[in-house]
Formats: sequence, structure tokens, C-alpha cells
Amino acid sequence: MFSLLAIIHGLLAVALLGALTHQTISVLWPARQRTGSFVSGLRSVPSATYTNAIIILFVATAIIGSIIYTEYRVSIRSTLRDYRLYVPEGAFELKEHFISIALGLLPAYWYYWRPGVAKEYARTRVIVTALLATIVWYGFLTGHVLNDIRGFGS
Amino acid sequence: MTIGRALPVFSIAFALIYIASVEYNLALITYHPQIGRWGVLVEAPKEGPAMYWYGWLLTSALGAGAIAVLSLALPARPFDRVWSILVWVAPLAMIAVIAYILRGYFLR
Repeated sequence: MFSLLAIIHGLLAVALLGALTHQTISVLWPARQRTGSFVSGLRSVPSATYTNAIIILFVATAIIGSIIYTEYRVSIRSTLRDYRLYVPEGAFELKEHFISIALGLLPAYWYYWRPGVAKEYARTRVIVTALLATIVWYGFLTGHVLNDIRGFGS
Repeated sequence: MTIGRALPVFSIAFALIYIASVEYNLALITYHPQIGRWGVLVEAPKEGPAMYWYGWLLTSALGAGAIAVLSLALPARPFDRVWSILVWVAPLAMIAVIAYILRGYFLR
């Protein structure tokens, strides 16, 4: 059960990572005009249309993550402690808190991407989006490393 | 978008309350994953670890929601401008604080 949820959690995280990375690149490094190249296409995605999908993906990923988190606390964390893997354990503790802060940031993220607000607070929108993307990347990589340490289905 | 003005305040307050909840363990609920039981407020571990994370989130969400509603009483100018800066400064500062709190994991 937890293995299946971990796979779904990972797949949702990949989708979230892709959408958020696209959106972040398009606001940090917007294309002046589309030339047809891959990089130009990456920089000129209609980023505002990603917002609701990113929020839904984030919440769905977090909900499933919160379910499998119980298994982490019961069996995986104790293994990390037995092997004195303090850095991975600490990295996962940080992930827990970073994701929580990002969860709380979602309402503001949605607000600053609203059409009427986005122009007036363009800088805030860029920073909030980049912050969210950084946290999601951190969470993804940490979760991936932790999963590698414990091993699938073990 | 009048009510929407409160959303950045929610995010700012959430980050601050969350870190305070972690540091002072202000969880409104506790989960005991080994026996699959929930408890009200902070409970000591029972037959395995106790999880306070859900409680910290609940504390933060309720606290931030209340502060966000109260913030609507403040005038849009200049506060909307202030929130637009604090909305990323506060989470960044709280990330630094939690990294400092957990530094022991990386310094052993």
C-alpha cells in the first residue's frame, strides 16, 4: 500500500516539478520573441495558465506525502538512526518544514498570479514562484535520495 | 479583489506561526502512527513515535486564517505593498531559522 502511494507521490511530484520549473523559467528568463527553438519555447510558455494546475498538483502531492510520512516515522527514520545517517535524516526533517512553509505560501502564490495583481506586483510574483520551485526541487531530490537509501518496498 | 488581499497575510502568518509551533511544540493534534490513534493537543509518545506535524499545520492554518481575516481591517495602502515584500522575506527567514534549529543533524 505504502509502496503504491510512494510511486503515485513520486509521479505527481514529477508533474509538479515540470510545471513549476517551466513557469519559473518563463518568469525569470522570459523570451522577447518566440524563435521556434526548444529554449525559446521553454521561456515563452503561457505561465499564468500553469498556476491552478501547480496548486492542485502541490496539494495532491502533499496529501499523499502526508499519508506515507507515517510509514517514514515508524520504520524508515529508525533505520536511518540505527545506521547513524544523520545528514539524510536532517535533510528529510528540513524537507518536512520547507514543504509546510510552501503549503502556506500557496494562497499568496495564487493571489500574485491573478491577472489584476500580477502586473502590479511582478517582482513579488517572480520571487514567490522561484521560492516555491526551489522548495519543490529540494523536496523532490531529498525524497528521492531517502527512497534510495531505504530501498523500494523494503 | 478585496478578500484576496488577505491571502499574502495568511502566507506570512503561516510561516511565522509554523516555525513557532515547531520550536515550542504548539500542536493542536497528535498522531500515534504505530497504533493509528489521534489525540487532542500535544500527547506523549504511546507505543512508538508521536507525530506532531499535522498538529503544527493545523495550528498554523487556524492562526494564519484568523490573522488574515483581521488584516482586512487595515487600509490597502500602504499595507498591500508591505505584504508584497514580507510574503517572501518571512518564508525565507523562517527557512533560515529552521535550518539553524536543525543544524545539529549536519554538525555531528
